Amino acid sequence: MIKSVIITHGSLGRELVQVAEKILEQKLDIEVIAFDWQGDGSAMIRQLEAFIARQAGHKVVIFTDMFGGSPSNVSTRFIGPNVEVISGINLPGLLKFFCCDEPNGAFRQMVKKVEQEAKNGINIISEYLGEKK
Amino acid sequence: MIEKKQQIFNKLGLHARAAAKLSHLANMFSADIYLIFNEDKVNAKSLLGILTLAASVGNEIILQAAGADEKEAIQAIGDLFDRKFDEEI
Repeated sequence: MIKSVIITHGSLGRELVQVAEKILEQKLDIEVIAFDWQGDGSAMIRQLEAFIARQAGHKVVIFTDMFGGSPSNVSTRFIGPNVEVISGINLPGLLKFFCCDEPNGAFRQMVKKVEQEAKNGINIISEYLGEKK
Repeated sequence: MIEKKQQIFNKLGLHARAAAKLSHLANMFSADIYLIFNEDKVNAKSLLGILTLAASVGNEIILQAAGADEKEAIQAIGDLFDRKFDEEI
């Protein structure tokens, strides 16, 4: 089974998850960790370590808000055969992860699909519509 | 394979929540189901695919299904459109 956690600056992750839950009309099984602006990040690291430790036997995707940011940087240390990090997550990417759109394939394949969908969700709309016309 | 012309009646068109309901419903059928609009053809089982149509109220799309339960699928999905995705009374 694939487990997930979203770790972001402030409450961005919680808001993203809440919006996705509204759209999909279901409670999502995802851990939310907020990077406290006031702190030194140690609470965030402890929370993430504890979450990863609880996921023995599962694959884990860590979603972060921005490549190079603290939440992303602390996440990279966990990357391994069972853990992947996707930075810059947005609503399309999150929806793709939780949608029953496609059968769960291999872990790597699923992670690539989510990355692609998140990227596909960024468009200059005039250009996108121009291409369609 | 069967097709049905379907008008969009709900005010917000095929927006996120409507697309989620539609893809959820489509996934209950084994048939391959597509929406066709403005020469674009998307998988009705894909929420994000549906959103790329950017189809609005008043637009007419084509529902297409192929498979063992194609008739039931078109009927159920057509009903969802006709019910305005249960968004409006």
